Amino acid sequence: MSELFVELFSEEIPAKLQINARNELKKNIKNFFIDNQIKFNEDFNVYSTPNRLVLHIDKIPNEIKLNSEEIKGPNINAPEKALEGFIRSNNTTLEKIFKKSTEKGEFYFFKKESRKIKVSDLLEKNLSEILTKITWNKSMKWANYDLYWGRPLKSILAIFNKKPLNFVFNHINSSNKTFTDKSLEEGMKIFNDFNSYIKFFKQKGILIDQDLRKKIIQNKINEIINKKNLKIEQNERLIDEIVNIVEKPAVIICDFDKKFLNVPSEILITTMQSHQKYLPTFDKKNNLSNNFFVVSDIRDTKGFVKLGNERVIEARLRDAEFFWEKNKTQNLVKQVDKLKNINYFKGLGSYFDKIQRMRKLSSLISDDFLISKEKIEIASSICKVDLMSDLVGEFPELQGIVGGHFAKFQGFDKEVCLAVSEQYLPNGMESKLPKKMYSVALSLSDKIDSLVGFFGINLKPTSSKDPYAIRRMAVSLVRLIVENETKIKLKDLIVYNCSLYRDQGYEFDTKKIQNELSDFIIERLKNYLKERKIRQDIIESSTFLLGLDDLLKAYKKSLCLNKNIKKEIGFETIAAYKRSSNILNTEKKISIESLGFADPGLFKNDYEKKLYKKINDIRKYFLSIGKDENYEESLKILSSIKNEVNDFFDNVIVNDEDIIIKKNRLELLNMLCKTFDNYFNFSKIEA
Amino acid sequence: MVYKTKKKTLSFQDTIFNLQKYWSKKGCVILQPYDLEVGAGTFHPATTLRSLGPRPWKTAYVQPSRRPTDGRYGDNPNRLQHYYQFQVLIKPSPKEIKKMYLNSLSSIGINYEEHDIRFVEDDWESPTLGAAGLGWEVWCDGMEVTQFTYFQQMAGVECKPVSVEITYGLERLCMFIQNKKSVFDLIWNDEGITYKDVFHKSEKEFSAYNFEYANTDNLFKIFEMLEEETKFLVEKKISLPAYDQCLKCSHVFNILDARGVISVAQRAEYIARIRELTKSIGKVWIESQS
Repeated sequence: MSELFVELFSEEIPAKLQINARNELKKNIKNFFIDNQIKFNEDFNVYSTPNRLVLHIDKIPNEIKLNSEEIKGPNINAPEKALEGFIRSNNTTLEKIFKKSTEKGEFYFFKKESRKIKVSDLLEKNLSEILTKITWNKSMKWANYDLYWGRPLKSILAIFNKKPLNFVFNHINSSNKTFTDKSLEEGMKIFNDFNSYIKFFKQKGILIDQDLRKKIIQNKINEIINKKNLKIEQNERLIDEIVNIVEKPAVIICDFDKKFLNVPSEILITTMQSHQKYLPTFDKKNNLSNNFFVVSDIRDTKGFVKLGNERVIEARLRDAEFFWEKNKTQNLVKQVDKLKNINYFKGLGSYFDKIQRMRKLSSLISDDFLISKEKIEIASSICKVDLMSDLVGEFPELQGIVGGHFAKFQGFDKEVCLAVSEQYLPNGMESKLPKKMYSVALSLSDKIDSLVGFFGINLKPTSSKDPYAIRRMAVSLVRLIVENETKIKLKDLIVYNCSLYRDQGYEFDTKKIQNELSDFIIERLKNYLKERKIRQDIIESSTFLLGLDDLLKAYKKSLCLNKNIKKEIGFETIAAYKRSSNILNTEKKISIESLGFADPGLFKNDYEKKLYKKINDIRKYFLSIGKDENYEESLKILSSIKNEVNDFFDNVIVNDEDIIIKKNRLELLNMLCKTFDNYFNFSKIEA
Repeated sequence: MVYKTKKKTLSFQDTIFNLQKYWSKKGCVILQPYDLEVGAGTFHPATTLRSLGPRPWKTAYVQPSRRPTDGRYGDNPNRLQHYYQFQVLIKPSPKEIKKMYLNSLSSIGINYEEHDIRFVEDDWESPTLGAAGLGWEVWCDGMEVTQFTYFQQMAGVECKPVSVEITYGLERLCMFIQNKKSVFDLIWNDEGITYKDVFHKSEKEFSAYNFEYANTDNLFKIFEMLEEETKFLVEKKISLPAYDQCLKCSHVFNILDARGVISVAQRAEYIARIRELTKSIGKVWIESQS
């Protein structure tokens, strides 16, 4: 049993590409072993540092046995040259070739004896292709070479059973050596096994295993925050990025001048996290502290790293503070007029035009939400002013949030401030969802207005391109409606929005927009349900012929059915429906004109009568429920028909000799299906 | 060769001298700044045009760079509408370029073994040049001091061979070396002249010009004239004069942008027009190279 150990040394590969390359390499090598029926330790790992991509698998046999096989050659009528070629390529002689008939005619064959193959030979032959199969989201070329890689690839070390594997990958020859120093790439060293390699780098403080780096960083951070009584926010994305941009992590705690804590914390946090990849800390009450973590790639023996980073953050925070002080006193209301100079989108007017539409739209929504019309109109009017501020210029990702802080500073109502702050939320499938009604109303009106506008000027996303992130906008709209159980009349709002555009001189085809948007939004709902792991058949049936005003209903029903489909109430309901509809489907060929109801006078036994009564009871139930239907309760009621249905099918033959009786029984089953269909389109559900 | 950290802090001009000397020893042609207003060292024809075509090329030079929108009337310690870049371009990109770069830091007093030098992903794109590249911004203890880019495309053409471009932000770098919080406090020479003495007045006046006084009606007309001239010269297949006109176009556009008279939609249109010019020039240049 042997180990395979490969290291690809390159210039610094970005974190995301590294993670992707690790996964790709792991997948490709695994497929190789499986395809070639070579045993291997499936619990293997691929490691990386910014400069090294390392593969290590052990428990691999040195040889594999290939069974004998018959190899098909050219047709016996093919030119002689084909046969010669076949003999040559199989490294054999004419005597060993024989003829054999197949469905497609008579062919030459060669029987390859069972034989043993060295795994090292197979690896040498295939590693180059395994590496070629790594797909990069972004790759580059360098110098005169034709190879595409994440960043320039410098050397390949490949070892099997302590001996070097020799192969050529583009312009690079593999060997048993690698660079020991990533900076100057000067010394090279021979390694014959993975353990000595790991050990050698560990002595230099370099950790090849990313999980180990993560653990060490986290432990060190925890140690410090426990001592200092601080907390950090769990930010996996940032931690994973940091882990993959260092090889010998050293955690350094730094601080900045406390005076900067007067600036809204989102601004400070964004500066630290996205611009500098620092980890901010918080006190026990969740207030931002002036301590932050830097993960350095070098031990800071002289204190230069701490000093340098503190200077950088100070310069950046000073900039942010300067803009905050300048912008916060600029009167939001007085600036609204200036939005006339800011183009929202070509063909959709200025931001001033947009907020006029949003104001009226949100005002209409406020009627349904029973919230103050005046407050939502104020929020709409001022919500885009922050786009003109220096702060949003510096921190575009903080649009809205910054506006909310300006509003708060200038004494606006609390709910108005929050609405301004949350107007862009949610932003896609995973983002935070606003809960307060003013925020929901403002966000809804922003998204509806954008969707209607973009569809109005025919900038719908195509299957491959969505440059204005319109899909994300629509799924956010869906989430606002279904997750908040928002009862709005979306169709009316779209039509009203079109009329608002028209008032401003933008002529849109309302009917067309309404149809296209309806399809588009329902498509997003389906997608959303899929993400929420709802069964495909439930999604299809709940969205079949769905109207825009029923998104919430469809969502709740699918959730309810998805949850209960394997439980008794779901199972029994579907069983009852399927038994009935199956018969109806087979009888359809006879083409019976349905009246829509059965005639109780034609019933011949109690089973029919009981079923009929039960169906009517269920119908009464559905007539009695108002807007606030309890979908689980409804499902339970439907499932309670189980006994009547079973008795009916066990004791009654639908296919009666008397065609009138038979037709009446079919009508009865049809009633059942129709009644069930009121609740859910069960016909598309797979039993 | 590893340079020892010098005790005396390097002046702004000595930093430039040292970098010039260093890259000169690496075989670079040391050029002087291009004599037109440009937004970055990349716009110098010694980079844009020379990075195209098969012929090897090594150069290094200082380039004054103008970014009208970044002007702050000399009030902001970190922002300037006119600043210096030190630019290195080598085609094809050498195998040892990282080592060369790290040693160049030593030549200006930054010992890479004592600082946290980080190559942070930064993919570069210039819509006006029709150019794109992959590489990093180099951080030194958290401060971005250099852009390091492998050109993949220039003037809409795929680069073969690939050039590597190293762009040092000289002011940032010197603020780091001299331990200054404001660019205006940088020591320019050993006589104690500061950056403020040399450039403060100019920052103030040019900010006023860029934001308040530039005659936009004229500039719009000039843009059209320059564009026409470029197209004419492209037809005549003289790429270098054509490129000069195109650079002027680009600068006029930047001033108009700073004056805030170009809407978002217009902006995209102007950028596309300049890109078309650059592409047509790139074509003419390549034809002359093969």
